[in-house]
Amino acid sequence: MTEWFAMVMGAGLFVLMIPIIYRIFKGPTGFDRILGVNVIGTKTAVLLVIIGTLYGRVEMFVDFALTYSLLNFVAAIVVSRYLNRTISLKEMEAREKAKGGAKA
Amino acid sequence: MKILSLIPIIAIGGLLLWAAQDFPKWGDVESPASKSPVSSHFIGKTGVDTEVPNMVTAVLADYRGFDTMFETVVVFIAGMAVLAILKGSTRGNSRRKDHEVEAEPDLIVTNTVRLIVPVIQIFAFYVLAHGHVSPGGGFQGGVLMGASFILIALSWDLEKAVSRFSIERCMIVAALGIVIYGGIGLLSMMLGGEFLDYAELERVLPVSREMARYHAMLGVEIGVGFTVTAIMFALYANLSSEGSLKQGL
Amino acid sequence: MTDHSMICLLAAAVENGEVGFLPLKIIGFASGVVGLIFFLGTAVGMVRFPDFYTRMHAAGKGDTLSTMLMLGGFGLVTMEDFSVGSWLLLIKILAVILFIYLTTPTSSHALMRAAFEDDEMPMTEDDLKKSKRKGKRKK
Repeated sequence: MTEWFAMVMGAGLFVLMIPIIYRIFKGPTGFDRILGVNVIGTKTAVLLVIIGTLYGRVEMFVDFALTYSLLNFVAAIVVSRYLNRTISLKEMEAREKAKGGAKA
Repeated sequence: MKILSLIPIIAIGGLLLWAAQDFPKWGDVESPASKSPVSSHFIGKTGVDTEVPNMVTAVLADYRGFDTMFETVVVFIAGMAVLAILKGSTRGNSRRKDHEVEAEPDLIVTNTVRLIVPVIQIFAFYVLAHGHVSPGGGFQGGVLMGASFILIALSWDLEKAVSRFSIERCMIVAALGIVIYGGIGLLSMMLGGEFLDYAELERVLPVSREMARYHAMLGVEIGVGFTVTAIMFALYANLSSEGSLKQGL
Repeated sequence: MTDHSMICLLAAAVENGEVGFLPLKIIGFASGVVGLIFFLGTAVGMVRFPDFYTRMHAAGKGDTLSTMLMLGGFGLVTMEDFSVGSWLLLIKILAVILFIYLTTPTSSHALMRAAFEDDEMPMTEDDLKKSKRKGKRKK
């Protein structure tokens, strides 16, 4: 019963991750992609607990889930910090184009 | 161009997947890894020799102690090399890049980090000390501990983190980790055994030979944790600010 | 031999939910399914919403709540007996829930702020009308 529940939940999570992967692939801005990666990273903690339930070693996999959610948080903070401290991406592209134009 | 570069990637990936079919199956008795006497020796003897339930930790810190010690030394040397290269590189240049702007630390992020960092550090100690029973150990605990300092540097700025844990102190702590590791090995040599033969520590510890190995493994893991923590933070601080230790990423 | 088969039968019965803590399991299953429904909302919002800030609204809220509900459900489902080990497991899962409760909204906020300072403007009503007209013309 528990194993069936874990399998159904895992399959449901996998199916529902497909739209988010579509958004990561297509996302008009870089922030959309980062947001999608963040969502999937949070869901990976749940997936790890599901895998632990299937293997019957939840007490081991919960540690992994905690570590994974921590690293996911660090990744989001790194990206936002970097984009906060630099000029906007559009301006950067414009400058690179101007440089390329000058060289050409 | 992107699509063109996709073709060799798919070809190499397919080649690797095709080659992976030749691997022995999961839990195959006939595979070389299961046939060799070494693995059966470890599986049979680890619990008897050291009383450590987690075989990986026992192999890493006891049977293969030399290897792990010099791995730690490699980590230390990597940190030293980055410091040596970056320390004087930005002396003449102006520090500000043309694409950087001023940014204040965010109120919500700093308050969350203030709440979370102690929890992460306690969890790092748990991973470090619980490495005998569950997955974990010195390297993993050290990485978590270093991540907590990196989180401080990210949410405020690098000066705040460096004022807590300066680079000089980083290097002292990193060297101390190796001294702890080598010291345990030397102590067991002085007590009459070989280098890193922890069982001889029973003469100073009030426990049996097996438990002496158990506790010496914990000491070794603590040394590894010291080195990895300090080098993680020193690498981040130097690489993100190109050696100037100002502002950071 | 009989003892062994008795133990097997008992284990099968506990596994099927006939003996043991059925109410806890039912609550766990229900909260897991509710979490899946909230995650469906997140997935649909990520695809259908027009600009970054509305997508972030869907992702931030639905993701946090659904993750917490699913993890809580699994914490209750894996609570086989009330021994020390299972209590420890439940406390660890609660720690993961607390961690996600703190970090996911914070990372959403940090991303939102980074996007706003990166001159990513929210979509106004006029933009929406324009994009609708464009879509109609294409059709």
